[in-house]
Amino acid sequence: MILWRQFAMEWRLYARDRVAMFWTMAFPVILLLGFGTIFRDSGGPKLAVVRVASLAPGPQDAALDQALGDLQLKVVALTRAEAEARWARGETAAQLEPDGEGYRLRLNSYLMAQAGATAGLVNQAWLVAQARLSGAPEPRRIPVQVESPGRKRSANYASFLLPGLLGLNLVSMGLFSVGMVNVSYREKGKFRRLAVTPLPKWIFLLGQVLHRLTVAVVQAAILLLVGYLVFGIANQGSFLNLALIMALGTGCFMAFGFALSGFAETSEGYAAISNLVFFPLMMLSGVYFTLDSAPVWLQHVVAGMPLAPFLKALRAVFNDGAGLAGHGLGLGIVAAWGLAAFLLAVKRFRWA
Amino acid sequence: MSLPALRLRGLRKTFPKVVAVDGVDLDVAQGEVFGLLGPNGAGKTTTLEIIEGLTSSDAGEIEILGLTWANNGQEIRSRIGVQLQSTSLFNKITPRESLDLYGSYYPKRRSTEELLKLVQLEEKADAYHITLSGGQQQRLALAMALVNDPELVFLDEPTTGLDPQARRGLWDVVRSMKAEGRTVVLTTHYMDEAEALCDRLAIMDHGKVIATGTPASLIADLAIPSVVELTFDGPAPEPGAFATDLGLAVERRADLWEIPTPDPKALLPRLLEAAETRAVPFQQVHIRRATLEDVFLHRTGRSLRE
Repeated sequence: MILWRQFAMEWRLYARDRVAMFWTMAFPVILLLGFGTIFRDSGGPKLAVVRVASLAPGPQDAALDQALGDLQLKVVALTRAEAEARWARGETAAQLEPDGEGYRLRLNSYLMAQAGATAGLVNQAWLVAQARLSGAPEPRRIPVQVESPGRKRSANYASFLLPGLLGLNLVSMGLFSVGMVNVSYREKGKFRRLAVTPLPKWIFLLGQVLHRLTVAVVQAAILLLVGYLVFGIANQGSFLNLALIMALGTGCFMAFGFALSGFAETSEGYAAISNLVFFPLMMLSGVYFTLDSAPVWLQHVVAGMPLAPFLKALRAVFNDGAGLAGHGLGLGIVAAWGLAAFLLAVKRFRWA
Repeated sequence: MSLPALRLRGLRKTFPKVVAVDGVDLDVAQGEVFGLLGPNGAGKTTTLEIIEGLTSSDAGEIEILGLTWANNGQEIRSRIGVQLQSTSLFNKITPRESLDLYGSYYPKRRSTEELLKLVQLEEKADAYHITLSGGQQQRLALAMALVNDPELVFLDEPTTGLDPQARRGLWDVVRSMKAEGRTVVLTTHYMDEAEALCDRLAIMDHGKVIATGTPASLIADLAIPSVVELTFDGPAPEPGAFATDLGLAVERRADLWEIPTPDPKALLPRLLEAAETRAVPFQQVHIRRATLEDVFLHRTGRSLRE
C-alpha cells in the first residue's frame, strides 16, 4: 500500500516534469524519425563509379559507358582534376581511369564493401562492351538483387537504429534518471528528511525503481510503435527473448546508476563522472553505426563493455529473428557487469 | 513526576578537523519549548542531528521520551516530528500532496486540512512547491513536522533567512505547538527569537553548553541588567581615555559604544561629563535592558552575530 502510494507519486511528479518527459519519451522518437528519414533508402549505399574522362574519347569509351548504364551503376563523369580532388576527400569508392589502350580501376580501401561490389560490375560492363565492339554475342549475366535477410521491408537505417536507441534509453535511464536523481536527493537532503520518518528506506527505493522500470517499458513501446507505423520495422524474433534481453539490460544499467551515485558528492561531480561513462558507451558501442570498420583491437575492447554485446544480442533477436542460444557469452558479459555494478552499489551507496 | 522528553548525558561528536559536540548534558521537560542558542558553528545542528538519529555520536547517552535509538528506533521516529535546516522538496509537488505523502509514512496522522489551516497555507494548498515564498515553504516544513501528531518536535533554525513578518508567522505556529501540549526543541542564533519563544535555553559555544536557564534568569545572572549605548554618526572611535576617566569597561561595536552597568541612573551624569571633557562626538544616548546577546558576550567575549 505504502509502496503503491510511493510508486504513484513518482509517476505523478514525473508526468509534471516536462523536461524529463521530453528527454525520456520524445527525444528518442525524434532521433528515430530524424535519422531514420535522413538515411532512408532502399538497400544500403548506392553503388557508383567515378569515371575519369578520356583525353580523346573513342568508340570504346562510348560502348563502356553504355554498358555501365545498362548495369544500373551510377556513373559520375569528372575531369581528371575534379576526380583527384574527390578522391582526396575520400568520397570515392571506385575510380575508373583511362590507362594506355585500356582502363585502370582504383579502389578505396576504407570503402571496400562498395568498392568491391562496384569493381565486379565494372568488369562485367567491360566484358559486355568488348563483346559489343567486336560483334560477338553478349556474355550472359547473372541477375543481381540486393536484399537483407529476415526483414519485412528492405533494410533501412531505422531498423538498425531502433534497437540501438532501445539500449541507449536504458543506459541514460540508469545513469541519469536513477544515478543523477539519487545524488541530487542526497545533496538536497531529501534522503535525510525521509530518514527521520518510520518509512523503511527500501520502500522508497523500490518505489523509485518500479517507476523507472515502467517508464522504460512505456518508452520502448512508443519507439517500437513509431518504428512499426513509420518505417514498417517489426520484431523478427520472439517477444519473450526481446523482453528477457531488455530486462537484463535494465537491471545492469540501473545498477550502474546506483553504483556511480556513490562516487560523487555533488550533482556537478556526478555529471562529470556519468558523462565519462555515458559518452564512450554511446559512441563506441554501435548505437548509431556499426563498428565493422573500426580497428580490431577497439572492437575487442568494446565487446567487453556492457552496451555493445547487449545491442548485438538485441539486434540479432529483433532484426534477424535469432534465438538467445548464440549470445550466451555476450549476455554473460552484460550480466557480469550488472552484478559487479550491483555489488559496488551495495558497498558505495550512501543516504547522507 | 513525568518522564523527561529528552535527556542527554556526555554527548560527544568529533569530525576530522573539529570537535563539534563536546560533552553536552541536557534535560528537557515535557511540554516546554527549549532553545539551543549559539552562533553558527557552535554545534547546535550537530547536537540536534544526533538526537534525531541522523548522525552517530562518538560517546554519550540519549533518551528520547524514555526510549533509546538502539532499542526503539522505529517508535522514536513515529513519535517525533522533525524540521531540518534545509528541507528541499520536489519542485512540482503541492503542500497538500506533501502532507498526504509524509502522513502516509506514519501509523498515526493528523488530517491534511487541519495542518494546512494551522500553518495558514489553505490558499496555497494546491500550488507547486517552487511557487511558494520562503516563509510559506518554512511553514509547510513545520506542518510536515506535525503530520504524525508528535509528542516532541525538533526545529532547526526555523526562521533563518525569513523577513520579520514571516518570522512572526512562524513564531505563532511554534506557540500553537506548545499550546497543544507538545515539547519543542529548537535551535536558533537569534536572541530575540530565543527570548520570545523559549521557556528555557541552553547557550552553546564551541560544542559546549556554557549556560542553561530561563531567558529571564540568564539575564538576571549577569548582575548588570542595563546597558548604556552611545551611538555615533559613522564608525565609533576608540574609547581610550574616555573609558579611563569613567573607570568602566566600554565595548566598541561598529557605530556604538556599550557600557554595561548595574545602575544607569547614577552613571548617566558622570558619563555625560566625561563625554563633554573628552569632546566625544556621539549622536544619541540609549539605555536598554540587558539581553541574551549581552549574556553571550559576557560569557564568551564574542558577539552572537558575527
